[in-house]
Amino acid sequence: MSSAGLVDTDARVIACSREDEDIFRIELEAPRIASACRPGQFAMLEPSPGAFPVSRRPLTFSSCDPEAGSVTFLFDVVGAGTSILSRSAEGDPVRILGPLGRGWETSPGRWLMVAGGLGIAGFPFLLSTADEAVVMAGTRTGRGTSCCPPGTVLATEDGSVGVRGLVTGLLEDVEWDSFDSIAVCGPSAMMRAVVASAPPRVLGRIQVSMESRMGCGWGVCGGCPVPSSRGGFMSCCKDGPVFRACDVDWERIS
Amino acid sequence: MNPVTEGLPDSFWGIPVPGPVALASGTCGFGLELDAMGLLADVALVFSKAVTPEPRDGNAPPRIHDTGYGLLNSIGLANPGLDRVLSEVLPAAAGLSRPLVLNVACESVSAFGSTVAALEAGGSHAGYEVNVSCPNVEAGGMAFGVDPAAVASVTRAVRRETRRPITVKLTPNGGDMVSAAKAAEDSGADAVTVCNTFLGMKLDWRTGRPALARGAGGYSSPALLPLVVARVWQVGRAVRIPVIASGGVWEPGDVLELLAAGASLVQVGTGLLRRPSLPSELAAGIRDLLCGT
Repeated sequence: MSSAGLVDTDARVIACSREDEDIFRIELEAPRIASACRPGQFAMLEPSPGAFPVSRRPLTFSSCDPEAGSVTFLFDVVGAGTSILSRSAEGDPVRILGPLGRGWETSPGRWLMVAGGLGIAGFPFLLSTADEAVVMAGTRTGRGTSCCPPGTVLATEDGSVGVRGLVTGLLEDVEWDSFDSIAVCGPSAMMRAVVASAPPRVLGRIQVSMESRMGCGWGVCGGCPVPSSRGGFMSCCKDGPVFRACDVDWERIS
Repeated sequence: MNPVTEGLPDSFWGIPVPGPVALASGTCGFGLELDAMGLLADVALVFSKAVTPEPRDGNAPPRIHDTGYGLLNSIGLANPGLDRVLSEVLPAAAGLSRPLVLNVACESVSAFGSTVAALEAGGSHAGYEVNVSCPNVEAGGMAFGVDPAAVASVTRAVRRETRRPITVKLTPNGGDMVSAAKAAEDSGADAVTVCNTFLGMKLDWRTGRPALARGAGGYSSPALLPLVVARVWQVGRAVRIPVIASGGVWEPGDVLELLAAGASLVQVGTGLLRRPSLPSELAAGIRDLLCGT
């Protein structure tokens, strides 16, 4: 299947490794998708050739190597589908549909990237397009910090790595005006806090990557609504997953 | 005579079809995305997402939950509403490569009539699927479908407004499906769709909180196939109009089993969400299976 760069294909596992407690990295050989994907976009991975689980799993591209024809994903084991994926071995087939959704609006200049938890997963790909960037990441414990790009400023709630506290604490001394673009990805409450802590004058520069349970990933089932600041809902899979922060109604984010 | 091995239907409602596989409402939009991907070639009919008189945002999230062995949803008939369907969607769908059947859902009998009357004015759609079975809305929905008298009223209201074929999408959630199907037939329906999703719920036993914001939702799964086969079998023996099977289809053999049970057409839904190319895969698989019979 192929249309406007969208491909549904049998990919092959190049490598699958445990990065941290229940966090895995999977690299797939999928040349057509590798040549088409953009930072912030995602793919739907079919974890099992059988009927169960019945839906695919949406994973954001963590990195992409068009020359090698490979794409990489970083994921948490949270259910049956990701559990099956985590047990993948070199050479295993994995059905993959992508690239899907709207990614980051990449532009030259200086970026601030703020991640919460495994929201860091897509930043290596975005980082590869930035002229200059400061990356900040916060987690509850030190879990997952080894997946952060080198130079990431870290905060952990238990103080085990980096500064003790929340990632928003790292933002207190940030010179917001020195950044041309701001990217935020993580749990909804964390993203809402980051957006709230930014001065109103920079809101137009903030993009957020939203997460929602998805049925199809290609815009037809209506299963992944994101509340719009203009009323109603946007579709996370088709209108997003990356949105301008000012387009999201944060009051209606649960 | 085995109706399957004797040959697959090549037309439905007088419309030439490439095979028995159609797309279930709510899982294919209005067919535009799949057509853009070139994936409608093996599709008999496209059953649109529900059209309601007013635009609907749908239910609060989370709207979807994969239990691992089935999918729960409570989308809540999210759609752009009648006016935008007439002004934007139907013109765009005019060039669709396969015929479109509009699924219509309303909260009153009179609204069913007026909505279909308005839709008659625009579009080249092939017919209507009257939705009296959605488990995810408070008013209308399956409240109509469990009552044969209400099914009859809604069917007559739609029949009065159109000469295009109509199918009534019945609910497996309570009531007597066979009586509802007979009521639809006696009131002018040209087919019945059997069935919609089954009412289901997932709770976190630790917190008592449901996985879906609305609580219960519609449950779909390949594991439901035997339940759908039984209902298609029962309804098919009670009515003379065609039965459109919907639910539990995952593999080519599932389609043939539903045809053997008495269906004339078979809709795919949840499987399509996972595999947009499922209709083509089913078509190829059916050919392989029949060549081996």
